[in-house]
Amino acid sequence: MCEMVMRSLTPSTPEELAEGLAAAAAAGRRIRLGGAFSKSSMGGPISDADVCVSTQNLNRLRQYEPRDLTISVEAGMPWRELQNLLAENKQMLPLDPPFASQATVGGVVAANTSGPRRRQYGGVRDFVIGMTFATLEGKLIQTGGMVVKNVAGLDMGKLMIGSYGTLAAIATVNFKVIPAPARSLSFCRRFETVDEVFNARDEILRSVLQPSAIDILNPAAAERIGQEGWLLLLRAGGNAALLDRYARELSGFETIEGEAETALWQSIQEFTPAFLDDYPLGTVVRVSSSLQQMKLLAGTLSVPLVARAGTGVGYAHFTKPEEAGEWASRSKGQEWKCVIDFAPESHKEYLMLWPDPGPELATMQRIKQMFDPNNLLNKGRLHGRI
Amino acid sequence: MIPEAAKSKLIELLGNRGYLDRPEDLVLYEYDGSVDKHRPDMVVFPRSTEDVVAIVKIANEYNLPFVGRGAGTGLSGGAIPRAGGLMISFSRMNRILEIDLENERAVVEPGVVNLDISLAVQAQKYFYAPDPSSQRACTIGGNVAENAGGPHTLAYGVTTNHVMGLEAVLPDGSVITTGGKGPDCPGYDLTGLLTGSEGTMALVTKIIVRLMRQPEVVKTILAIYDSAEDAGATVAEITAQGITPVAVEMLDGVMLGMVEEATQAGYPMDAAAVLLIELEGLREAVEEQVEQIRAACTACRAREFRVAKSAEERELLWKGRKNAFGAVGRVSPFYYVQDGVVPRTQIAPTLRYIQEVSERYGLTISNIFHAGDGNMHPIILFDARKPGDLEKAQRAGEDILRFCVSVGGSITGEHGVGMEKMELMSDLFSDDSLEMIARLKRLFDPDCRLNPGKMLPTGRGCMEIRQKPLVPGSFVY
Repeated sequence: MCEMVMRSLTPSTPEELAEGLAAAAAAGRRIRLGGAFSKSSMGGPISDADVCVSTQNLNRLRQYEPRDLTISVEAGMPWRELQNLLAENKQMLPLDPPFASQATVGGVVAANTSGPRRRQYGGVRDFVIGMTFATLEGKLIQTGGMVVKNVAGLDMGKLMIGSYGTLAAIATVNFKVIPAPARSLSFCRRFETVDEVFNARDEILRSVLQPSAIDILNPAAAERIGQEGWLLLLRAGGNAALLDRYARELSGFETIEGEAETALWQSIQEFTPAFLDDYPLGTVVRVSSSLQQMKLLAGTLSVPLVARAGTGVGYAHFTKPEEAGEWASRSKGQEWKCVIDFAPESHKEYLMLWPDPGPELATMQRIKQMFDPNNLLNKGRLHGRI
Repeated sequence: MIPEAAKSKLIELLGNRGYLDRPEDLVLYEYDGSVDKHRPDMVVFPRSTEDVVAIVKIANEYNLPFVGRGAGTGLSGGAIPRAGGLMISFSRMNRILEIDLENERAVVEPGVVNLDISLAVQAQKYFYAPDPSSQRACTIGGNVAENAGGPHTLAYGVTTNHVMGLEAVLPDGSVITTGGKGPDCPGYDLTGLLTGSEGTMALVTKIIVRLMRQPEVVKTILAIYDSAEDAGATVAEITAQGITPVAVEMLDGVMLGMVEEATQAGYPMDAAAVLLIELEGLREAVEEQVEQIRAACTACRAREFRVAKSAEERELLWKGRKNAFGAVGRVSPFYYVQDGVVPRTQIAPTLRYIQEVSERYGLTISNIFHAGDGNMHPIILFDARKPGDLEKAQRAGEDILRFCVSVGGSITGEHGVGMEKMELMSDLFSDDSLEMIARLKRLFDPDCRLNPGKMLPTGRGCMEIRQKPLVPGSFVY
């Protein structure tokens, strides 16, 4: 939440949000923008600010017609509340972001957080169908709409997803939603070596099975959830016959259901927050790589690694910020890319959070310049570079 | 007009077979799949990113507007050179550069035909999901520009959900790469911003696409109705039941007649509407869904429910669907396709409204569309040789799109705004929102040379082309 020392704004309508931003920007005030600020340790350093703007009171349901499979909410709605609304109608938004119990919808979108089931369902960019955002000029900009297929105008929402609030303030978000499967079943198998676990993953990828999640944990990560060895974790949803089929085809796997299943995925979804609680100097590197490159990277890591092994995102959890910085810097000039997603505030100034931005950074900086010419909004939050 | 000096530089760059500038050749590049036309002054055929960079630099040196073009199958005038100038055709940049199955990716040049990606990997049981009806001809570059859809995007998502990274030449001649083989690349999602920017911000020269594993089982169902509204109601019922088909297409009675005469695909000639429903996945899931769909169709008074018995039968049904526009051409030499989208619960009222519009203007309007996601394609038949008929068709189209907006929908689901629906953008977006689009366009293209006069209402774009779109063009065929 906003600290007491700062002037704080908690607008309760999109218009108030836009007016507040415009007034602050016009006065040349530096702005810290967030929802519940549950992910303050994520992204770039928190710069000094004169005004703190929180969307926490901008938290209403705007529109939900379950038969249209779409929902529109204000940015400050707690993520959990959105999940509950959908669950009442047997629908879901299977993003599984970390910090889910404190996060707001806008924060999940602005930080582009997601979880295990994105193998099947995709990430934030695949669910957002429309958005309203407030600019520093005090304008409310609409993009997309309330239909699942729409190419009218530029897809400006894509710019906001993962922008850490550096461009504008997300005011409302429209999502497409998914009918929740009737039942869920999960599978776990332990392997001795990195080769074995990734070979097993490759077999799943080549098969006709369509698990919603394909995660690999290295032994250090497995230990943190009370397991050992290299773990391959799968999740499937559907009717009883379908899940029986999965159980047959995955005969070497241990099946996990009911409360144990919920607990397992909860521990995976909140793996990073739990790690950061345990290690005040905890530093987490996020890797974007090809599926095969992920295997090579996994082989070089002895710290806890949670890999979305069917997607190509991995999270390496270091206890020493310097080691994380050194490892992340290896991405320079490589096809795989990484950023330091979480680091202690005290170390963010000197760590290269985004080691190798590439020439497209110039284009991104021009976009930032257009939205925020005086660099007032969440300065440096995009991994220290913007 | 292209100055001689610019022309010589382009010829020197591309060779004698790398350009077209005779009127009889240029006339083939003045139109796309929609009704608007404008002729380029010269068409150039780059073979590499370096060629594109050099062309863009020459265009800048001589202050020439330029427009990218794939196969010209677009349906909103996206690839039409409104201001004349250079047309950059990507038809010779048509190599699949890399097929990387173990990473579920392919890297392709923009001129690769959509279907060719799936054909290149089908033996290994993979496919590229977005499947516009023109997929035998349309190119990936055009698909990226328009964020193309297709029947199966209901379950799999549209082009933007399958494009992981781009290489693009910006209007100043610089080259950027965005995204990569992995997701969540650091920084702003430029890939997502450029996909669907209708060729107004960058010329895409390389595309990393996602490949998917073919499903184990595919079932195709034909549900036949005596009332189009019952068919529309079925779509809402399927959604309400939580069933997730990969495609739900609707064809109305007028369309069925035209399609069946052209394709002999086995569609009923006497029905008011059919739904073509496809289910994919593991056998156990699909078998259950077939029964759930049967129940939903029966509850909504379907008179017949057929499951295709063989791959041949299935392919024939799809051939009929995908060649529908060709079938219309056999009956009516001129037609105007619309692309409105409505929330799924509004399909039945929208169909009623379209019928009213048809009666009001005295024009036959046939419906074939992606019912599962509410993406309507009313096809308005007219005769351009009859004075005033085209204008009537355009007014009917606008009425329908305004209705779509009024029930919470959009003016385009997959065809793009282009030059066709520019003026309707004000019905959908506030002035501030349109201005933001214009500013982003100008950020990429400050001199407004790339594909000018598109997407934004007259007076809101960065360069003014005050004349209305040139319709129906230089000839009446």
